[in-house]
Amino acid sequence: MTNFIDYLLGGFSNGAVIALMALALVLVWRSTRMVNFAQVGQAMFTTYIALTVQQSTGNWVLALVVALLAGSILGVVVFFLVIRPVKNSDTTGAIIATFGVLIALQAGAGMIWGGDPEGFVPPVDNAGLEIGGRIWPVSLYDLLVLAVTAVLVIGLTLLFTKTSLGLSMRASAFNPEVARLSGVRVNRMLITGWAIAGATGAIGGVLIAPFSTISPNSFDILLVFAFTAAVIGGLDSLIGAVTFGIGTGLVISLVSGYSDSGNAPIVALVLLALNLLLKPDGVFGHHGSRSV
Amino acid sequence: MLETVDLCVSYGAVKALNGMNLVVPRGEVTAVIGANGAGKSTLMRTLAGLVSPQSGQVLFDGASIAGTKPEDIVRNGLALVPEGRSTIPELTVEENLRLGGLWRSKSDRGASRDIVFDLFPILNERSTMRADTLSGGERQQLAIGRALMSDPKCLLLDEPSLGLAPLIVTQILELVSRLARETNLAVLLVEQNAVTALRVATTGVVLNLGEVVKSGPAAEISSDEELRHAYLGY
Repeated sequence: MTNFIDYLLGGFSNGAVIALMALALVLVWRSTRMVNFAQVGQAMFTTYIALTVQQSTGNWVLALVVALLAGSILGVVVFFLVIRPVKNSDTTGAIIATFGVLIALQAGAGMIWGGDPEGFVPPVDNAGLEIGGRIWPVSLYDLLVLAVTAVLVIGLTLLFTKTSLGLSMRASAFNPEVARLSGVRVNRMLITGWAIAGATGAIGGVLIAPFSTISPNSFDILLVFAFTAAVIGGLDSLIGAVTFGIGTGLVISLVSGYSDSGNAPIVALVLLALNLLLKPDGVFGHHGSRSV
Repeated sequence: MLETVDLCVSYGAVKALNGMNLVVPRGEVTAVIGANGAGKSTLMRTLAGLVSPQSGQVLFDGASIAGTKPEDIVRNGLALVPEGRSTIPELTVEENLRLGGLWRSKSDRGASRDIVFDLFPILNERSTMRADTLSGGERQQLAIGRALMSDPKCLLLDEPSLGLAPLIVTQILELVSRLARETNLAVLLVEQNAVTALRVATTGVVLNLGEVVKSGPAAEISSDEELRHAYLGY
């Protein structure tokens, strides 16, 4: 039982980062009805930029802010350079193109920063906290990750539910034609969606980097988990992405704890397959929100 | 107010509108009637900027608007309520309404919302509910209300009777017609349901295969038996 609680607690911060990456996928899906497989590549690239900033200034907050800005800019660049020209003729082509972007970003990162894994020093201690004479599987850094994630999720929720920009973005996602007829500049909303998704993914990248190392391919597995969480959550739902992102983190932690961490991606893919068989619209999705 | 000159629209080889001339004055309802495929929806989508004309002009307030983006046309005061109760079901009634005039100042929006709630009080009662919980008639009111939130000088209604009980349609259209008279709003209504449309309209225009067959006072058109048999099927 103690093991169970330890494994569970140890999964939360990982889950939070998966939730952020799933959120990024959902934001792109909501604006352009496609899955951006380059999302983790963009996050990896901006995390390298953040690493460079941190190494030269020693300032983690500055590195996070730079990653956030770079992430939103990179999101817009990918949208204009690749997605818009391709998507006009063919959505499937655009999705394949995102794989191209992923590979290009990985190759580019390898050329700029080299292929060797590098460590990302966390701003606060990442060792388990000692409370009540026992070492818990939760560090100060885990708590920071959870706090940043919570702030971001609450911020996004307020943006979407309380502001005019959020209403315009939701309307553009649900029904672009009615949105245009209501005076919403739908194209701008799509670009804004890509920018916010890029920023969200970038923050996820910076947060997860200290848990292991960063290399051009180190976030690939994160794509598997984030995609699983986003799809099970319904691809359309921000709440779904967060819930199942954290859920996926907990499952991974339990599977890794009781068996071997190498089994986690397999379990994730099995869950994904079961979900597609049993509830193809996702748990929080509404009917017809996607066709896979 | 709104005028088309020799308007031609084609979908590939198919001519949907063939040299259409139309004038929509302020303060009254102008009804364009005709059977399925007469070009009614094409006319509306062209006026709203969703479809580009092949030739001819669309004049709004004296300026040519053909080729302008839909989001700019509505900001200029020409609002379309498209066919099929075009609300966004996932949003609440209040959000659907707010969407209609997001670019306007808060006080302007408030004034428009008062007008809408005055016209359709049910929307005020249902304000926090999701649009998909509304009945068909309520959703049509919401769709018209959303268009009115842009403070239009001209309102385009595409087939509002579709799928609604005749009594409800008449009620809604009479409210719109009163609004047109009282606020000097130009209303262009296209309808397959000629009887209802001509009842609230001042002027009637009969459209067939993309061409105007006849136009004149609504009463005159509805009493022209030959016209009824030939083009309106009743």
